[in-house]
Amino acid sequence: MRRFVADLHVHTLLSPCAAVEMTPRNIVWHAARHGIDIVAITDHNAGDNVPAALAAAKGTDVTVLPGMEVETKEEVHLVALFEKPRQLFAWEQVVAAHRSGRMNDTDRLGAQFVVDEEDNLVAVKEEMLLTSLSLSLNEVCDQVNALGGLVIASHVDRPAYSVLSQLGFIPPGLALAAVEVSRRTPRAEAAKRFPAIGGLPVVTASDAHTIEDFLSGPKMAFNLEAPTLAEIRQAINNENARGVVL
Amino acid sequence: MTVNDLVGTLPLTVVAGQDRLAAEVTGGYVSDLLSNVMGFAAPGSVWVTMQGHQNIVAVASLAGLAAVIVAGGAVPEPETAAKAETEGIVLLTTPLSSFELVGQLYRSGVKGQ
Repeated sequence: MRRFVADLHVHTLLSPCAAVEMTPRNIVWHAARHGIDIVAITDHNAGDNVPAALAAAKGTDVTVLPGMEVETKEEVHLVALFEKPRQLFAWEQVVAAHRSGRMNDTDRLGAQFVVDEEDNLVAVKEEMLLTSLSLSLNEVCDQVNALGGLVIASHVDRPAYSVLSQLGFIPPGLALAAVEVSRRTPRAEAAKRFPAIGGLPVVTASDAHTIEDFLSGPKMAFNLEAPTLAEIRQAINNENARGVVL
Repeated sequence: MTVNDLVGTLPLTVVAGQDRLAAEVTGGYVSDLLSNVMGFAAPGSVWVTMQGHQNIVAVASLAGLAAVIVAGGAVPEPETAAKAETEGIVLLTTPLSSFELVGQLYRSGVKGQ
């Protein structure tokens, strides 16, 4: 068992709101240099830059988790994390079938770049990513879990796009593994400041859109046997001697 | 003015709470952020929203609202309608946009508080 530092919410330059410096290679390079062992790549409603991040991490000590920040039809943001690229790929098919049909407006919203592990431009993603899917909160949670992933409610301490801002409270029975707080809320104070969190585990992450965000933003430290999602799931729940390092 | 008066004059469909239409309407509120509704909607109001999630029922119940109107042709989820029926909340839908509906409500005498 050893300590792993994890950032479970990081955007690449595929997200229209992220800086172009957020290439998979650059993220992995900075992670390796700054002792960030686990990085989840979580672009808005898309996973196209995950393969490049996995390739960039090959031969390094950094583990990349395939993920996505999903926007439900209630305009709630959720971080979906997967163990295996094929699980994310299956989820991307579901997402593709539930898009708005609108195309991105690069001038107003920002460009959506797909790149390879050496920062070469592969494609410009045309579909508008920064908008809601036609899937409900419950549908997203159920389907991500069915594919073997886990769901974390994004930045519940923020006044926009959070399950608490949109829906007032967390619907009972929702298949959430945890809630996330942003850098504005110390993790230890989250449950007190936001009683609606109830008994759910609380995690924090950088939600980085720039390298500066990535390096300075909050992260988790876990005691794990290995840097896998299955281990992180246990640590979040304090199971089998896995846990969160305070 | 009662919810029934509004149902009789505006393009509203009753989805749940048919037996509660006699409730008095004392004001109106519009928001799609449920956290905001919980803090600011006055009891007795009709609430206009695009959200169809089942949490709208609990929010309406907590705030003591006269009715919830899901606008813009949005379809409340099946659990929402079932929950509204169980909790005795009047749930209405309208094909009108929130803007149009609020205009018509205002003209009918429903004011903000």
